[in-house]
Amino acid sequence: MSNPQASQNRYRADLREMKFLLFEQFRLGDVLGRAPFEAWGVDEASMVLDETYKFACEVLGPLNSTGDKSGCRLEGGRVLTPEGFKDAWTKLYEAGWKNVSVNPDWGGQGAPHALFALVEELLSGANTAFNMYPGLAHGAAEVIQLFGTDRQKSAFLPRLYGGQWGGTMCLTEPHAGSDVGSSRTTAKKLPDGRYQIRGTKIFISGGDHDMADNIVHLVLARVEGAPPGTKGLSLFIVPRLRVKDDGTIEGSNDVAVGSIEHKMGINGSATCVLNFGENDGCIGELVGEVENHGMAQMFKMMNGARIAVGVQGVAVASSAFLNALEYARDRKQGPSIDHWKDPTAPRVAIVEHADVRRMLLEMKAKVEGIRALIVKLALHQDMVHVHQGSDDQKAQYHQGQVDLLVPLVKAYGSDQAFRVCEMAIQTYGGAGYIKDYPVEQYCRDAKIFSIYEGTNHIQAMDLVGRKLAQRGGQNLQEFLGDVAAFVQKNQGHPTVGPYLAELGAAQEALAGTAMRMLTWFQTGRMAMVPLAANRFLEMMSAVAVGWLLLEGAVLASEKAASLPNDESSARDRAFYEGKRHAAAYYARHVLPEVRSHAEILGREDRSPLDIPTDAFASL
Amino acid sequence: MKILVALKRVADPDNANKVKIPASGEKIDTTGLEWKPNPFDEYALEAALRLTENGTQPKVRAGEVVVVTFGPKETETTLRAALATGADRAIRVDASDDKLDGDLVARALKALVEKEKPDVVLMGKQAVDGDSNQVGQILAELLDWPMATFAATIREEAGALLVGREVDGGVSTLRVKLPAVVTVDLRIVAPTSVYSTKTPSTHKYNDGVRFAALPAIMAAKKKPLVEVKLADLAPDQALKVSYHGFAAPPARKAGIKVKDVSELVSKLKNEAKVL
Ligand SMILES: Cc1cc2nc3c(=O)[nH]c(=O)nc-3n(C[C@H](O)[C@H](O)[C@H](O)COP(=O)(O)OP(=O)(O)OC[C@H]3O[C@@H](n4cnc5c(N)ncnc54)[C@H](O)[C@@H]3O)c2cc1C
Repeated sequence: MSNPQASQNRYRADLREMKFLLFEQFRLGDVLGRAPFEAWGVDEASMVLDETYKFACEVLGPLNSTGDKSGCRLEGGRVLTPEGFKDAWTKLYEAGWKNVSVNPDWGGQGAPHALFALVEELLSGANTAFNMYPGLAHGAAEVIQLFGTDRQKSAFLPRLYGGQWGGTMCLTEPHAGSDVGSSRTTAKKLPDGRYQIRGTKIFISGGDHDMADNIVHLVLARVEGAPPGTKGLSLFIVPRLRVKDDGTIEGSNDVAVGSIEHKMGINGSATCVLNFGENDGCIGELVGEVENHGMAQMFKMMNGARIAVGVQGVAVASSAFLNALEYARDRKQGPSIDHWKDPTAPRVAIVEHADVRRMLLEMKAKVEGIRALIVKLALHQDMVHVHQGSDDQKAQYHQGQVDLLVPLVKAYGSDQAFRVCEMAIQTYGGAGYIKDYPVEQYCRDAKIFSIYEGTNHIQAMDLVGRKLAQRGGQNLQEFLGDVAAFVQKNQGHPTVGPYLAELGAAQEALAGTAMRMLTWFQTGRMAMVPLAANRFLEMMSAVAVGWLLLEGAVLASEKAASLPNDESSARDRAFYEGKRHAAAYYARHVLPEVRSHAEILGREDRSPLDIPTDAFASL
Repeated sequence: MKILVALKRVADPDNANKVKIPASGEKIDTTGLEWKPNPFDEYALEAALRLTENGTQPKVRAGEVVVVTFGPKETETTLRAALATGADRAIRVDASDDKLDGDLVARALKALVEKEKPDVVLMGKQAVDGDSNQVGQILAELLDWPMATFAATIREEAGALLVGREVDGGVSTLRVKLPAVVTVDLRIVAPTSVYSTKTPSTHKYNDGVRFAALPAIMAAKKKPLVEVKLADLAPDQALKVSYHGFAAPPARKAGIKVKDVSELVSKLKNEAKVL
């Protein structure tokens, strides 16, 4: 508003849809007002969404394309973020949106994760690059809250949650990307119990910036003499400026920004090369004062970070879809197909053309389905919270579903987000390729989501190599059981019933493929597993998304039937009808792919393994 | 300082085309509309909050802001939002939207003012639905209080307000003794428009109305919101304004294409008669 550089906000969200998910489909109201969410009611949760959306559109949205154009600069060893970011950071922490779910002991409001996931969607959708900075500060704080000593918590948490300090996650090194275990950064124990850190980290998001007084790096490093591989990694708190026990700043800690990257997207987010201890003056402290637990601690944090990446995906894809929809209703081109031979027939808005409608409905179904999966996952997290200590069996079930669904949300959410953005550009036609419209930036910004926080293949291997076998395979069995129970219960449903056969068949194909992969493990055909992993993850995601969309459609048709049949409920009726059509589209156009994938995997084709590397091309 | 802010909810002005008029033309059909606070009243609330704080320490209240609205139960959403933005208390006068007019609202407000005894009554210069621009003026007359309308700036002085009003060709500044009625215009939410005696004159506010922050949303539930019967404030509920019919504005006629400039000039002269 007052910033001359600020451009127009292009972010769009559908709050009606978000509230449907939270309050109607997933009945968040049932857990609000009770421990541990005593302070919350539906009114508060709903107002938080309204106000966050307002904030997103007025403060963050106008900085999205300007930040993309100007990018970050490195001057005198410090990163300067795009104009307006610092002001937005201050306003964000004044408003408190980052602390919706933070434990009240640390100044938060203790809301369910399901609400926070949507708050995050609104912030990330309005300005993905900006929201990474506070997102990483939040993630770093969560690790310290979970694993830090009491002193570490009191020194770092209030400032990290309060926005005085930023935070990062430092895993990647030139020789250690997906292969985190080959990390070469070292830590040497000093007589006072702290550690001297030496090494170079690359691609560190928010590795430096000008919005906070200090930056708290969480650095994976190997203590001298520790075993090789991930088992020998420890996690250190390494602030940019040294901090006294009471949290006041002491001075330089020998952390230098070597350079910043020039990227395809998220240009407002500084991606840094960080050199720790070039002058032997970098001191870190061990998280929780335990060595060689770094990977386990990071993994805990990565669950949250991976969900956050799925949220980034749906956030951007959703706004791409809604912008494309707006454009399609406005842009006139060509006559209706009914008059295709008549050059004088009136030109219609492109939203009238079948192929444009196909793209719009596909985008809608994917966006809403993935959002439903995210809220489902977040609610599983909340239910762990609710049942912990009182009903361990239930808590275990929900935790199992969290573990199982995280790679789906991260990988399917990010892969499909990119595809939705690409389809949004296609919907616009030439205008979509032009920077006057937001979708080309969305597409560039969205590409990173399938790469960082573990590439999507790493997610797929996490799913098939670890998660499927967890608790003796029980997590997967319970997931398949939940889907089967839904199919069983609604088989005769007048509107949704016909699509359930597709879901049932997809669920069986998925279960069959899981069995097939198990035999690969058992019969020494391990090499087949990574070939199939990404496809398996996609199949399982499609089953999950199809299930939740159909569940929403069952509810929507009940709700629609109970509406008064007059003008006053036209909006609600249209909304519920939309839910039904999105589910129908997904069931008929996407779920059949699960069966076809199963069939393809069943052929056990090995050509990517068999082709000699020299045969790819004559390079 | 104690301030009473009158807030009205209006059909979302961004979706004004959703307002329907049934064929009978008897009244406006409000079913299915989305409601928003009247923007000018939101500005009045922002001005009231600025007058009851030190702008450099907005978390400390230095006065009281009471918001009041007239309407059915669901208008409490509008009041809760005002409480979340920073108002201290809320009053809902139970009433039906279509059984109110400016005169009745002003009479009821007068009774409420006599009970609440605020130093200032602040409200928007008009509501963007009916654009009547009456309640503030009638209320000031009924109370026999000084009044300043269309305020663009307000500076608190001991026992008075210095109110800047944008008029054709300049700014007219009025000093109104308290208690007083002030209605506000758009510019009242500019960064340097409103100063309480506590806010240093170097302080600059953010442009526009403040956001409801998370802690305030959570605290709003605990702030008092009471319901008052309209009959208790205004025993005589007769309306002075009666509406005889509503009609949508006529659809614009399609334009015509002219061959050349001379045809244009001739049409402007002979048909439109503007030359
Ligand atoms: C913009 C941006 C921001 C980033 N932010 C951060 C950050 O804040 N902190 C941080 O620590 N890192 C960050 N990263 C690093 C990011 O997490 C890594 O790029 C990512 O983990 C992949 O590592 P890599 O780039 O070295 O690719 P590689 O590991 O070299 O992978 C290249 C390809 O090989 C595949 N591959 C690799 N290993 C295997 C295997 N064992 N089996 C099968 N396939 C394999 C991958 O899937 C990929 O397709 C960021 C990166 C970017 C681009």
